[in-house]
Amino acid sequence: MAGLRGGNPPRQDPKGHVSHSSLSSASFSMLSDQVSPLIQRPKTGPRKEMLVGKHRRRDGNLQQGSIPDSGHKYYLQFTTEDYKSGENAGSCLATVLYPKTKSPPVVSIKCTHTKDQKQIQEEDNRLYQKIRHQTKPIIGNNIPDSYGNIEPALEPAWALAVAGSSYIMWEKSTENLGYFMAQVTSVKQWIRKDDFIEFDYTVLLHEIPTQEIISCHMRLTWLPGHPLKVKYFCASENQGLEDGSGMESGSAAGILHERGANF
Amino acid sequence: MKLILIFSALFGASLCLETFVGHQVLRIKTRNEEEVKKLQLLESLEHLALDFWINPSTPDLPVDVRIPANSVQAVKAFLESHGIEYSILIEDLQVVLDKEKEDMACSQRDRSSDSFNYGTYHTLDSIYAELDHLASEYGHIVSKLQIGVSYEKRPLYVLKFSTGGSNRPAIWIDAGIHSREWVTQATAIWIAKKIASDYGKSSSITSLLLLTVSNPDGYVFTHTTNRMWRKTRSKNQGSPCVGVDPNRNWDAGFGGPGASSNPCSDSYRGPSANSEVEVKSVVNFIKNHGNIQAFLTLHSYSQLLMYPYGYKCTEPADYAELDALGRAAASSIQSLYGTTFTVGSICTTIYQASGGSIDWSYDYGIKYSFAFELRDTGRYGFLLPASQIIPTAEETWLGLKKIMEHVRDNPY
Repeated sequence: MAGLRGGNPPRQDPKGHVSHSSLSSASFSMLSDQVSPLIQRPKTGPRKEMLVGKHRRRDGNLQQGSIPDSGHKYYLQFTTEDYKSGENAGSCLATVLYPKTKSPPVVSIKCTHTKDQKQIQEEDNRLYQKIRHQTKPIIGNNIPDSYGNIEPALEPAWALAVAGSSYIMWEKSTENLGYFMAQVTSVKQWIRKDDFIEFDYTVLLHEIPTQEIISCHMRLTWLPGHPLKVKYFCASENQGLEDGSGMESGSAAGILHERGANF
Repeated sequence: MKLILIFSALFGASLCLETFVGHQVLRIKTRNEEEVKKLQLLESLEHLALDFWINPSTPDLPVDVRIPANSVQAVKAFLESHGIEYSILIEDLQVVLDKEKEDMACSQRDRSSDSFNYGTYHTLDSIYAELDHLASEYGHIVSKLQIGVSYEKRPLYVLKFSTGGSNRPAIWIDAGIHSREWVTQATAIWIAKKIASDYGKSSSITSLLLLTVSNPDGYVFTHTTNRMWRKTRSKNQGSPCVGVDPNRNWDAGFGGPGASSNPCSDSYRGPSANSEVEVKSVVNFIKNHGNIQAFLTLHSYSQLLMYPYGYKCTEPADYAELDALGRAAASSIQSLYGTTFTVGSICTTIYQASGGSIDWSYDYGIKYSFAFELRDTGRYGFLLPASQIIPTAEETWLGLKKIMEHVRDNPY
């Protein structure tokens, strides 16, 4: 499962439009949604470069060439969809080079979008206003719940969690490890004096192919027109713990450290 | 219920629909030909609107007649004045009809399973109760077999659908081996209902074995404690971590790549192949049956339809046929709601994984071995909204049917 890691996610939009950039990153880091790589064990021993064939999935198209002594390069073509409505949101062409040296992959991407900047801006503002107009700080648990329900009042918080998680998944994923956001176990809004909105989350990530459920603490700050700020800390493997039912929510002060550049 | 009947009676009356309020049914005993002739005269009086259930013909037979309310007095007076004996069979026909309707509705409720909501997620107890219900309601085609018990001693129930003898060629379907994949158990119970009600009407179904909850301990745990629990609940010696991944525990490439040796891992293969009673019970059952033609297993999520192998990335011998059949099934699935499934072998479609069930079944000799990954592709993942249960079940059913038909037409 091709995931991506790197300091500079190829955001099309440096202004960090949430509804748009979350879409790109969500669909990009959740590549398994569209594409899954085909990896065949080479027939002649482990030292040879891996051969990868073409794989079509819906309109996803993945090709790979091996570059001697250089690594594995993937060519991806895939469609994206709006996370909320499922509507087609455009298509993308990307190349991802995983160097042999295990340094972060080199990514280039170009997307066509069904929505223009203005539309995206408007949607961002709508989302922002929805959250700002809540009379009480948003607090919630288990979104969606066990039965797949999301309370309408918690939908905006969920949407932001998706956006924020996609950044975490972007950073954590590798050539062989991919993620989905399985659930928001808790969300708590911190009211700020300025216009930024801020949320504290515990999210569960479903890790492929290990099948582990990873619990991550995430602090997210946002204002339309500004890049999404994500700080996070994911628990390591639950060695010695019986079940990964998620961490307690609450203040993350002291255990978070900032990862990656703002974008 | 009564209110509805009264309302509909009034409604019916207002629409000039026939009701039988006040109608009486009399049994008239004629002693001779003369009395018969008198009744035949009555019969000819159309304005009385008499409805003879048994017509006057010979003095040997009684005459039964339904008399509308406003003719009752007149007819009785006629009979009495001629000394013709009669008795009242039915005092008020409408009352009888109402009671009959009520009885029918009640018995229909008892007979049908419409109290079980297939469009929602259920507890283990609720699913097990429904298995019993189906086995009794459709007793002539459904029987419930216990094939073993789970680690925590919960029964493992298989529904057998067939009309024939004991070991006719059969199709095996299981669901919920990974307990957090809730849409699979829900789909399975829907399929049980579907097969039962369609049995005989559709030629694609012959003999079927359906394990609706393969991992009941895990399933209960997802309800009581941890919605994301995947494995069994067996204790691991020397480790605080519980459970084995039941789909890494089969005797197919066991111990190879794609499974963990760490008991704390969600893909822990277990101490040895078939160490899990949930797996061993199925293996034993299938071996003892001896005539399973297809082995189909339901998982979620990702929308995939896969055939062997997972433990190695080489093609199975029947690759061409399995791939073609898989594509045909995926096409059927897509025809209903447009849901697309990707087809391929496990290793090439997702990842290498050893100890999987369909690898075992295939290498055991069950050619038509497929694993389904149902909806969705990650937005809700394991937490698929209940509103999608029935659409998922309906489309999956089309795929399963396609495979069953091919199996029926290609015995081996």
